[in-house]
Amino acid sequence: MTAYKSKHGYEGLLVVIEGTDGSGKSTQISKLKRWIEDQSYGAMVSEWKTSKFIADAINDAKERNLLNATTFSLLYAADFADRLEQVIIPALKAGFVVILDRYIYTAYVRDVVRGHDIEWLKNLYNYAPEPDMVFYLDVPVEILLKRIIGTTGLDYWESGRDIGLSSDFYESFRIYQDKCIAEYQKMKQEYNFISIDGTLSEKEIHKKIISHVKDILEV
Amino acid sequence: MEDKFRLNKPHNLKGTLVCVEGIDGSGKSTQLVILRDWLKSLKQDVIFTEWNSSDLISQTTKAAKKKNLLSPRTFSLLHAVDFADRLEQIIIPALKAGFIVLADRYVYTAFARDVARGVDKDWIRKVYGFAVRPDLTLYFRVTEDVSLERICANRAPKFYEAGMDLKISSDPYESYKIFQKRVNDEYKKMVDEYGLVEIDANESIHKKQVFFREQIKSVLALKGIEL
Repeated sequence: MTAYKSKHGYEGLLVVIEGTDGSGKSTQISKLKRWIEDQSYGAMVSEWKTSKFIADAINDAKERNLLNATTFSLLYAADFADRLEQVIIPALKAGFVVILDRYIYTAYVRDVVRGHDIEWLKNLYNYAPEPDMVFYLDVPVEILLKRIIGTTGLDYWESGRDIGLSSDFYESFRIYQDKCIAEYQKMKQEYNFISIDGTLSEKEIHKKIISHVKDILEV
Repeated sequence: MEDKFRLNKPHNLKGTLVCVEGIDGSGKSTQLVILRDWLKSLKQDVIFTEWNSSDLISQTTKAAKKKNLLSPRTFSLLHAVDFADRLEQIIIPALKAGFIVLADRYVYTAFARDVARGVDKDWIRKVYGFAVRPDLTLYFRVTEDVSLERICANRAPKFYEAGMDLKISSDPYESYKIFQKRVNDEYKKMVDEYGLVEIDANESIHKKQVFFREQIKSVLALKGIEL
């Protein structure tokens, strides 16, 4: 990676894909990883909430419905810190292109919607390396709803049921995701998100993503 | 920005929050138990809460400690989870109900230990910005040497209490002293910063308890409670 200099100073690159649930992140991430590998680079993917130790504690606490807005936020922050230090930074040092399925922006969005102060959150994550590129898959809530209902079904937390928006599952999901989308929109400019219309075909989205990645990867 | 943190201003809840701080072996837990029993004998509503004891996460933290798996920052955040859980489930409801809440260690433990482990001082203070400011915090001052004598009379220092994760020294006794000195230094800085009330831990149990009771009496008197 000669011409481009990474924003965090490590040899590798940090590429983030953000978007709400059902926005098509996973599909695009596997396509992107494959493409990067085809260009003879090492690529790895790290997903939100996958640290060895803490992810289990989060799942357990969610199942038992034990979390309040602050413990929710701090547990995710602990998961992130662990993954950053054990997985992401070592990979960046080794020169990998690290593709992240969600990053600190996900925490900002979810926690602000749960009533936290953005300045408190920015401090909480202030040690996170700046990504070289952030893609945001923009999908309107009506389409998200159809995708989610047609696949995994409505999840308690993805519907923001913990914050008591509505006793109606469908309605709660719609309001919660609407609020999340609004927070993403607010961050677009501040963090230079590359916003991509998530209603386009998988192939078209992929083409757009790699056209940008080519700017930071010598191919 | 500082001002919006709850930790930096007096709370206006009905109850009273009293905390004890200091390195291990300073006798603070003993003092708190004696104080609790006395307050109960005076028919006061009292509850007691300890550091790292929430149902939510303390088991995870303990398991991770055993395997020496986590970085100082991750540890710090797990302790913050534990604290946030107890704050919202135990401490705040009790304060609203007018209880005297006795906390064996509070956020200052995190500020002292985590900074001694190299975590950024300003970062950790903001992380805990949601904490309720105590009405009274006693800092039990004891030297590292005395602490070591008391804690390790019958056993070697444990991995984390000796700060062995920092790889300061391969000798746990030596490491304990160096690490606990760092923790003590952080506590000393907080005496002014947060108005911690210092107490010489070398004094007798009786003398310390007399002092503790005087302190709590004057704090309660301010709230119109005469003991």
